[in-house]
Amino acid sequence: MKNRTQEHFQKKKEKTLRPSRATRLFIIWRKLRKSKLAIAGFGILLFMCLIAILSPIIAPYDPAWMGTSRLPPSLDNVFGTDNLGRDMLTLVMHGARISLYVGVASVLIEMVIGISIGMIAGYFGGIIDEVLMRITDVIFSLPAIMMLLLAVSMFETRGENMIILIMGLLDWPFMARVVRGEYLSLRETTYVEAARSMGASGWRIMVRHILPNMLSVIIVLATMDIPWFIFYEATLTFLGFGDPSSASWGVLLENGYMFAQSHWWMITFPGLAILFTSLGFNLLGDGLRDALDVKVRE
Amino acid sequence: MREEHTSRKAILEIKDLKTYYFIAEGVVKAVDKVSVKVNEGEALGLVGESGCGKSTVAHSILKLIRKPGRIVGGEIWFEGEDLMRKSEAEMRNTRGGKIAMVFQNPTSSLNPVFTVGSQIAEAIRLHQKVQKDEVNEKVKDILAKVGIPSPSERMNDYPHEFSGGMCQRAMIAMALSCNPRLFIADEPTTNLDVTIQAQILDLMRILRKDFNASILLIGHDFGVMSELCDKIAVMYSGKVVESADMGTIFNDAKHPYTKALLESIPRINIETERLRVIPGDVPELIRPPPGCRFHPRCEYAKEVCSKEEPPLIEIGRGHEVACVLYAH
Repeated sequence: MKNRTQEHFQKKKEKTLRPSRATRLFIIWRKLRKSKLAIAGFGILLFMCLIAILSPIIAPYDPAWMGTSRLPPSLDNVFGTDNLGRDMLTLVMHGARISLYVGVASVLIEMVIGISIGMIAGYFGGIIDEVLMRITDVIFSLPAIMMLLLAVSMFETRGENMIILIMGLLDWPFMARVVRGEYLSLRETTYVEAARSMGASGWRIMVRHILPNMLSVIIVLATMDIPWFIFYEATLTFLGFGDPSSASWGVLLENGYMFAQSHWWMITFPGLAILFTSLGFNLLGDGLRDALDVKVRE
Repeated sequence: MREEHTSRKAILEIKDLKTYYFIAEGVVKAVDKVSVKVNEGEALGLVGESGCGKSTVAHSILKLIRKPGRIVGGEIWFEGEDLMRKSEAEMRNTRGGKIAMVFQNPTSSLNPVFTVGSQIAEAIRLHQKVQKDEVNEKVKDILAKVGIPSPSERMNDYPHEFSGGMCQRAMIAMALSCNPRLFIADEPTTNLDVTIQAQILDLMRILRKDFNASILLIGHDFGVMSELCDKIAVMYSGKVVESADMGTIFNDAKHPYTKALLESIPRINIETERLRVIPGDVPELIRPPPGCRFHPRCEYAKEVCSKEEPPLIEIGRGHEVACVLYAH
């Protein structure tokens, strides 16, 4: 009897022994779909990405096109025109390309550096921790925008890639600190000890056993940082360290700022684009955190 | 039985192990010159109150002692090799592969974000070169062996979907997955219900036969020990005060501490007014009392007890005691 049931289970479960990576992603997606807010966030980001990708095709004008300047929104120029007579809708669509790219790319750089440093400092502790954390403190205590300006002015090249690199290289200390703190507590857990007793090496425990346990923290930090990077890029470009001909949302915003009182559309539409993008990232981040938590049931 | 054991080869022999913790207040001598021996196929029970250093012995064997602790001296012979001379990389092969350990908090010993099956699979892949599908088969087999129902389904569960007893079964499965020669169980049943405790002990007894591994069982409960062990070593304040085989300990314990411990076990068949308690507390290991460490709590204490530390001497076949009452 027992054997038969076992055989039965074996036959039934032969194909789904361990969920493959694809199935696990599918399970996460299914859990994500349950949350309306997460789906809203996902929808917003998908929409923004589509616009970014398709902007050369779907934008009503060429970004270089110039008509009458400072026209209020009308059927011809849905978002109005800016002080140079360019179509605001076209500019906002093209701006999505740069702004999304800048936000995501700098967060990726920030994450790689912040997580590595925090992880090594927190896991190994002792003198390694001291040295790494003092470096982190120094960078953390420097006024970010000053450092960005200094760094940008040291290089000849202009453009968003340089800005991304510098923002990513300077903005990791906060993430490093949070990650370190998590490691300090997680490295004392019994399952880490159990993993060591099974012969796992220090690096293996650090990366494979502990890191997945703090995914939620990292996701929250990363999604919060993306809007910041979009703003930073704007500031830097405004101060003349980006490529002024590339119109990111930040540039549009800074540009419209001077006309904010008389021509509201020049500042409102790029502002809304940034607002919705950060909202999208935050909602998706929250949903993703819950979907990745194995304790939250489908 | 006794004959057979003494003629067996020692699989683990600890000689004069000293593990100290160096903290701001001073040096905590958690394990001070401890010598124990586990023969092949034998189960040794290490008994003592909380804080007497028994877990530190277990961790020292695998060299898992972390700062501020350090193994200060002694030898740990395992299968003819001194583990103290092994490098960290060599130790990693030993851990899990040859010596496996189970901890006292089964529910927190498993990583919450991975499925139980994948954690056992990882343990297997750390020590054996096997194909992916083969690993899954092995995981399923071993889970079935430790009594997890419908293992092919449950292996995809996360630890929080397992009960405490099932988590401990899974931990035992993980420990046994690489056929270790020595199995260290650090209070494996402490946080479990009594019925589950009995099941886990049954399981360990069966597995001991099937896997033919030696066992070092650590605990404070003579009842649990008597279920599984052939020999008992009693630890007090970082030292072994008495060791003998199971029967001798229960019927002919010599050391006052062992006697007191045995008398503090509630028994159904013997009527007593009150259960005996050992007066006082385990001494702080940072300032152990001079001489015999048990003398402040010992009812037979003499003057000499506070001056000289009694050595562990053999008073019968395989029966060693550290007490002046039996020193000649």
